[in-house]
Parts: sequence; C-alpha cells; structure tokens
Amino acid sequence: MMSSQTAISMENVTKTFGGPGGVTALKDVSFEVADQEFVSILGPSGCGKSTALRIVGGLLEWEKGEVAVVGQSLQGPSDDAGIVFQTANLLPWRNVVDNLLLGVEIHKDYLPAAKEKLPEMLQTLGLQEFEAAYPHELSGGMRQRVAIGQALMRNPRVLLMDEPFGALDALTRDRLNVELLRIWQAEKKTVVLVTHSIAESIFLSDRVLVMSERPGTIVEDIRIDLPRPRDPRATREDPAFGNYLVQLSEIMGVM
Amino acid sequence: MNRDTLQTALFFVLLGLAWEYSVKFFEVRSYILPPLSDIFVEMWDSRALLWQHTLITLNEVLIGFLLAVVLGVAIAAAIFFLPIAKRTLYPTVIGLQSVPKIGLAPIIIVWFGYGVLSKVVMAFLFAFFPIVIATLGGLSTTPEHLIEHFQALRASRWTTFWKLRVPSALPNFVDGCKVAMPMAVIGAIVGEFVGSNDGLGNLILLATGSSNSSLTFASLFAVTGLSLFLFFLIELLGRFVWWRSR
Repeated sequence: MMSSQTAISMENVTKTFGGPGGVTALKDVSFEVADQEFVSILGPSGCGKSTALRIVGGLLEWEKGEVAVVGQSLQGPSDDAGIVFQTANLLPWRNVVDNLLLGVEIHKDYLPAAKEKLPEMLQTLGLQEFEAAYPHELSGGMRQRVAIGQALMRNPRVLLMDEPFGALDALTRDRLNVELLRIWQAEKKTVVLVTHSIAESIFLSDRVLVMSERPGTIVEDIRIDLPRPRDPRATREDPAFGNYLVQLSEIMGVM
Repeated sequence: MNRDTLQTALFFVLLGLAWEYSVKFFEVRSYILPPLSDIFVEMWDSRALLWQHTLITLNEVLIGFLLAVVLGVAIAAAIFFLPIAKRTLYPTVIGLQSVPKIGLAPIIIVWFGYGVLSKVVMAFLFAFFPIVIATLGGLSTTPEHLIEHFQALRASRWTTFWKLRVPSALPNFVDGCKVAMPMAVIGAIVGEFVGSNDGLGNLILLATGSSNSSLTFASLFAVTGLSLFLFFLIELLGRFVWWRSR
C-alpha cells in the first residue's frame, strides 16, 4: 500500500486564533502522509484536529511552519485535494447529479468528460436510482455519499475528511465506513480523516495520529497493522483490533 | 371541495348574510353602509368603469413595484458587498423609510404631476424598503459552511455570488415581494387620493364625494381584488423557488 512518495507534509505548524495572546490551537504540529495512505487524526473535541485539516485544505492561514500537498508548498486550496465536511455541503436547489458536478462546473473543467464519469460514480456511491433526487429527499448517509462523490469527481490525489460521519447514526456510520474503504481502494486516494471515534480510526486507517488537548500537538503516531481488505466483522474480531483499542483508549485517557 | 375550504366558504357566506340583513334590520342609511347586494349590483352595473380604473391603477402598481425590485435588489447587493455603501446608503435607506411616506405624497404630486408618474413613484416608495431589507437578509443568511465549501472549491467571488448567494437569497426575496406588492397598491392609491384624474383611488374619492357609497365600496372591492390578485401572482411565481419551504 505504501509508496515512498509523500502526499502531505506538515512541519512545525503553529496556529493561533485571535492574534497574539489568542488561543493557540496548534503547536509545532508535524506529520507526513504517504501517497495512497489512509491516515486518521484522532483527538478530543476542540483539540485542533479540524484546524489541522483546514490548514492542509488551504482554508486557514497559519503562523509558523511549512505545509505541502503533493510536493507543492501550499498557497490556498489545492486542486490536488478534495474536502468533505461534517455537514454534507449540498445545494438544496440542485439534484444529486448537479451537486456531483458542482466542483467540475466551478473549475470550468471539461463537462462532457465529467458527465461520462457519472454513471460509474453513481454506482460507486450506490446512488444509481437517486440521480434526480434533491438533497431533502435523501437520508443523511446518502447526502454524505453525494458530498464524497462531489469531492471525487475532480479526481483529486488527496481526500480530506472532517468527521464526515459524525452526524450520522451508528449503523449508517458503520456501513459508510465499509463503503469508504471500498472507494478508497478502488480510486487509490490518499485519505486524511479527522475523527473522535477510536474504533473508526482503527478500522479504517493505516496510521492513527493522536492529538493532545489544546494546544493541539501530535502525541502518538501508531501504525495499524491489520490485514486488508478489512471486514466489519472479521477485522473487529481480530485480537489485534482489541489491542489497538486498548492502546489508543489509554493514550486518550478514556481507560 | 374539501372540508376545510367548505368551512371557510360557509364562514364568509354567513358574514355576507349578516351584513346584508343587519343593515336592513337596523335600517342603516345606505350612504353610511349599503347592503352587500347593492354593492354587487353596483359592481355589475359599473363594471366597465371599474375595469378601466383598475387597469390604470394596475399599471402604476406594476411599474412602481418592478422599479422597487430592480433598485431594491441593486441597493441591497451594494450594501452587502461594499463597506462604503453600508456606511452611506444603508443609513439613507433607513432614514427614508422613517419618513412617513403618506406625508410625502403632496410633494411627490408637485414634483411628478397629476399623471401616472407620481403614482409610480408612490408605489415604488412603499414597495422599496421591504425588498431591500428582505434581499439584504437573504444575502446574509447564506450558510457559513456552504461559503467555506465554495472557498475550498476555489470559487471566485462572482461564482459564489451567482451559484450560491443568489439562490440562497431567493426565498427571502420572494417573501419580501409578498410584503412589498400590497404596499405598492397602497402607495398608488395614496398617490391617487392626493392628486389624480383617474385610477381606483380617484374613483373612491369621486364616489364618496357624491355620496354614492355603493360605488365607494365597489371600488374598494376592486382594490382589494387587485391586491389579492397581485399577491397570488407573486405566490405563483414564488413556486419556482421551491426550496423556500425546505
């Protein structure tokens, strides 16, 4: 799975909100994510993990340090990264297909080529019968799948996800986790996922980065050596899964 | 007809009957309050006259309203996007709104004459403010997470405006139009009261002056009908903005 190429690198990044003397959200955060690697950032709420993701996504400025995406030093949102937020960012006046095409449209990419990709994308997302449906006609899980699809449509190298399943019920969340892994394997993306669910981070990731409470900093970098493809049952029944769970829970101070 | 509409219809029929017979029972003189039937007869007899004046008022209202939409939206957008407009235009608009517009009517007649133009200006003045406020509200209620999403997609300000801000402001704008349209009718009627040769407001004055209360009420019904028609026209057009209720 690993390739020697680095997809994302963050070096000694510090971020303060509210000017000098404000709240330090991140302090000397450094990490690297290899090409096609699946990395989770795990931490308590308010630890700055979303801030870190937004910096990589080019949505926030930072004071100190270096950030690069696919070898390029970051200047605002990168074409190589697609972002999925906790709230599915769909436009209520656009149906599924038009929401999927939003990014393509905004970047004025070649539209016929994108449209050719649609049937396959709808199938990947499991939304074949919903192409003409509007967001209010979809369930929360389906909306989030459309949001993921929109990010994938422009074929970015990197997928940044900010608690994409945080607002969903446990059952839907588990199912979407499996689908996310399938999509990740099929599309060969680099994924950085921010989550506060320990089990989710273990189930999905190659590596889990644990962040401390504010000021956020990476305190642990744990490699998850569980066989792939992962299976909701077999993976969770693997004794190693239980060990990771205990280990991470101890680090997080919930055990 | 379902049960709900039946109840509504029955209520108004009863109200009409109460009007008709209480006027007769208490022997109210007809120049004070004519029986409802007299008003209907008058409406039928004077239908050509009423129609003619309705069209004149309709014309004034529509032009004034459309002007209010065009200028109102432009000024709301300017206030929203240009800090200098927020510091200058916005207080001006608020100030103008606080001037009682009925008090302005005489001077508007002096400035714009007895004809259509002064009524258009009055309709405009009445309709303008609700449209500015509603549009301004609509523009500022664009969800923050969608704005961030457009930022992540590297959308230009122009794209964000057309593809995000405008559609998300439309529901508020439609609501503003619903308030503004009956206001425009009031504006035109006030203008006709203060100085005019025709229009439904003029007809109301003429009828009242000659103690023809049936015609006064017939004209009032025509104004009410006009106002309701225009309101439902907006309502109908507003259905194109179907995500309003989502």
